[in-house]
Parts: sequence; structure tokens; C-alpha cells
Amino acid sequence: MNWRIIGTLVAKDLSLFFRKKLIVALTALGLVFYLIIYFVMPSSVNENLEIGLYAPVIPPVFELVQEEGLEIEMAESEEALKEAVAEGQYIAGVVLPADIMEQFQSGQKPKIILYFTPDAPQEIKDAVEVLIRELAYLQAGQTLAIDISEEILGPDMVGMPIPPRDRLRPLLAIFIIMMEMLGLANLISEEVERHTAHALLVTPMTVIDLFVAKGITGVGLAFVQAVLFMSIVGGMSGQPLIILVALLLGAVLVTGVGFIIAAVSKDFMSVLGWGVLSFIILLIPSFSVIAPGTITGWVKIFPSYYLVDTVHRAANFGSGWGDVGVNLLILLGFSLAILWIGITVLRRKFQ
Amino acid sequence: MAGDAIIAEELTYYYGELVAVDKISFNVAEGEILGFLGPNGAGKTTTVKMLTGQLKPRAGKATLLGMDIAKNAEKVQGEIGVCFEETNLYEQMSAVENLRLFARLFGIRQFDAEALLGRVGLAGREQDRVETYSKGMKQRLMVARSLVNQPRILFLDEPTAGLDPTSSEAIRSIILEERKRGATVFLTTHDMMEADKLSDRVAFMNQGKIVALDTPHNLKQQYGKRALKAKVTTESGELEDREIIMDTSETPVAIQKLFAQNKVVTVHSEEATLEDIFIKITGRGLTE
Repeated sequence: MNWRIIGTLVAKDLSLFFRKKLIVALTALGLVFYLIIYFVMPSSVNENLEIGLYAPVIPPVFELVQEEGLEIEMAESEEALKEAVAEGQYIAGVVLPADIMEQFQSGQKPKIILYFTPDAPQEIKDAVEVLIRELAYLQAGQTLAIDISEEILGPDMVGMPIPPRDRLRPLLAIFIIMMEMLGLANLISEEVERHTAHALLVTPMTVIDLFVAKGITGVGLAFVQAVLFMSIVGGMSGQPLIILVALLLGAVLVTGVGFIIAAVSKDFMSVLGWGVLSFIILLIPSFSVIAPGTITGWVKIFPSYYLVDTVHRAANFGSGWGDVGVNLLILLGFSLAILWIGITVLRRKFQ
Repeated sequence: MAGDAIIAEELTYYYGELVAVDKISFNVAEGEILGFLGPNGAGKTTTVKMLTGQLKPRAGKATLLGMDIAKNAEKVQGEIGVCFEETNLYEQMSAVENLRLFARLFGIRQFDAEALLGRVGLAGREQDRVETYSKGMKQRLMVARSLVNQPRILFLDEPTAGLDPTSSEAIRSIILEERKRGATVFLTTHDMMEADKLSDRVAFMNQGKIVALDTPHNLKQQYGKRALKAKVTTESGELEDREIIMDTSETPVAIQKLFAQNKVVTVHSEEATLEDIFIKITGRGLTE
């Protein structure tokens, strides 16, 4: 390898990259857009369940639950309560009969009405119903004759709610990295399409010099932007070294994919086609962060899972090397394998 | 006597079943211009690719400046310049930037891009983006790029194809200047007149083989015929063409008869062209 030649090629590629006004504008706008998305998303999580209550007589036990993450607000009338629930002010509305205390004392079953919005999830309906039954038992002086035990599967994240924008943070960082995959593939594809690669390859430069230069350009562009983004949004404050390593490996991964796209593409349109397909495939694991539980174990077949998961856990939960070490090793393996495949198929194209 | 800059020995290349270059052997002396002629698909480009280190020969050996190109590609490539047929410049960069990029790749620190551009007639447009250039200007820039490292061997692939006469002439002058400097020139062309005018020797390539290799003069002597072409007026007053083959025992008598029996309007001698000779040797034209 000739580092003077590699340096010259990297400088040339960066110079050409920044001369493409459209790509530069898209890159800059993309970065700004991702930051805007991040900052407009809610920065905190409201864990309290807000329930509206209409009760001419309030049983004393209803005041206890205020300390347990429940906010119960009084409504002036049943009609006002129904209106507030319909407008989404409360997650549920509870109407207690005026003679509820008498009914408790006489051992009768009081009729309690619950109001929900049409789109209220079943889980919420069940939770509110269970809550009311619990309160009724408490008020009646009886306890449930059961023991409740909890078992946590996976990392126990109770008490560590993630604001939506922080949940989105790894996704946006990976988005930035993958955008550069398209830029790199286009840079290489153009070199082949316009035959400039032939001109380069009759100088003392080798094919390996060319690939290393392209790799450095691709990794550099992707990595720098992702690090910049993560720094601005505060993603580097917890475990900066882990985040840096993960993003670097991610940049190597997309560089390999960029090489493969360049090898199978003939022009800008085919780069775009293959690029978008790869983009979607690599983005799938991000949904496991945005909406936990929607994606199961099969998502681990995607190499980008180990990048998303690592960045998510390190940035949002402060996970250390011991927690994400295996992830990083698997990501390293995937990245090197895909880079090797990319170099092999691209080399064939150059020959 | 100068040594050989290029020695090709049994050079062979095939793409799958197709034999593109079939055991060709030749040598090019230092400071010589070799015209490499042949129709499309004859194997010229594949030969150039093997000689410039872009392809490894399947068999045989190419030695450039005393080095085996297959084993010392980078060293050899530091000493050669290649001008391609297709335009392959960085069009978003200026001419100066294009040349400086390649100068850096060759490890040249002190490089006067403006002077070289002036030499190829691009003075005044050095800082313009190449995408604004005409085809002729791009081709001249391609030639300039191949001269960045003052190459000892210059490979030129159809350097004047599709150019206007002024640009073509400018490039031909540069080729002759390079020869004067001592460079060896390997010139691939379809243009017979150009090859005839510039080349010390020409090689005819057909179906992967070199079918003839000699000076244009010797080839014409060996395969061509000199003729006397005349236009005469017939008794009915019409113009007719007459041809007398020269260098035969009957030639003097035939010339005597021509002037005695006809009213000769014009007369001139005509040499065989390289194209005529190529057709005679291969049975096909160069542009087929």
C-alpha cells in the first residue's frame, strides 16, 4: 500500500464529494433535519395514568392511589367527564354511584361505569378495570388471596423510561451512516462508469490502494457525521468510547455494503435502487428500538441489529463493555465479512 | 544502437473460449514510434492492456524497460503514459487540477501544469472545469495527462479519433516532439494516413495475431504496387481513367503507348496505401 497515493485519492474524493452541490445540500439538510426531528420529539415520559372521576361521594381509598403513579382528577358531572375522555384529556373516566359507600356496607355490588376512547388499547382497559376492582376490594376491607411475583425477562428497564427522542437517537445516527453508503457507492460507480478508474490504474497505484482510499472516504464521511450528530444530541455523554467504536464498525459495515452496491450497479439509478433496498433491510432492526416487542428474535440475522442495539443500550442505558461486548464482536465479524465480500466483487468489476 | 523499450514474447490473452491475443511477439526500440493497426476486435486494446499492466497475460511475457510488467507493474507504470480512446477525465475538476492529481499519483512534487497545458494548446482555459471543454480540448488534455510524468513509453489509443484537423495536427506535433525527447511511442490508430506519416514501423493485427510488421516503406515495397494513373480523352470526347503498373518489364512500353495513342489530360503516380496492403494481407478492411 502506498499511503501517499491513498492520501491523494482521499483528498480527490472529498473534493469531488463537496463539489456535488446536490449531495452536499442533501447531506447538510439531512443532518439538520435529523437534529430537528430529535429536538421536536418529547424529551420526557409522562408515566402517570390520568383518570377522570365523577363521584358524588368519594371513597377514602381513592385518595391513596395518587402516590402510586395515578392521577385522579374530579369531574363536575358525568357529562363533563364523558366529554373530557372523548377529547383525550383522561385515559379513562370512572363514574361511581352516589350511594357507593352504603352499597359497600350492605355487601351489595355497586355499579361502576368506565369510559374509554374508541382507540384505547385493551391493555389500558384491562389495567383500569383491575385497578377499580383492587380499590373496591380495599374499600370493602377484603384483600385478594393471591401472591404476585414478577419475573423480568431481558434487561430490567423498569424505572428507566426513555423519552421518545432518545429512543429515536440510535435510529437517526444509523440513518446518517447509511445515507453515506449511497454516496460512497455512487462515487465508485461513477469512477467505473466514466472510466476514470482505468486512468488511475495505469499509474503506480494498485487496486488495493484504490479500495483503501474509497474505504477511508466512505468510513470517514459516515463516521464523522454520525459522531457529530450523537455529540449534538448528547448521545456521547454516557459511554462515548463504546458509541465511537460502534459507529466506526457501523461505518465499516456500510462501506462494505457500499462496495457491493457499486459492484452490482451500472449507473446512478441502479445505485439508487440497490441502495434503497439495502437501506430498508439494514433499517429493520431499528424498529425493535422504536417499538419494543414488535420485532422478535429473527431481527438478529441483520448485521445492523448489533449496531442499533449497542448504540441504543450504551446511549440510553449507559450499558458498559461487559453488556455490549458480544454485540460489538459480532458487529466486527459482520463488518469485516461484508467488507471482504465488497472488495472481492468490486475487484472483479475493476478487472 | 538503442535498446528495446518493449519486448513482447508469445503474449496471449483469452476471454473464456475467445482468444483475443494469440501468441504475439514483437519488440519496439527506444525512441521508436510503432503504429499498431487493426480492425475493431483484432486484439489491439487487449494487447495495450497487457503492456500497461491492466491485464495479466494468460501466457507469454511482456518486458518494458527491462522489467517484466506482470511482476513489476507499479514500477513500469511509473515510467509510462497512457492516453485512452474514451474520455476519462474528472470533468468536475479543472484541467490544472486533473494534471496535478496525476502528478501527485506519480509522486512528482515540482510540476508546471500550466506549461504542459500551454504545450497542448489549452492556455487560457486551465482553470475552467473540464465539463465545459469541447471534445478536441478534452482529447488534448488527455494527451497532456499522459505526459505528466515525462514517460519513457507513451501509449496512445486513437488519440486523434473524431477530432477536427487543428486538434489532430496539434496532437501529431506532440507525438513527434515526444519522440524527439527520446520517448518510445506505441500508437494505436485506425487512421492509415496518420500511421504512415508518424510511424517508424507499423504492425498489422488481425484476429489476435500480428500478420505484418515493418516500416511503411518496406510494406509498400513488399505488398503494394506503384501505378501510373492517367486521365485520357477518348475519340468520342469522353474522359477515361487508365492505370499502368510500374516496376515491370512492360512498363516503359505501356507508358509510350499511353502518350502515343491517347490525348493525356492528367497523369500522376500512385503508391499503395497501408489500407490497401492490410486488405491484401488479411482480406478485410481496417474499419470492418
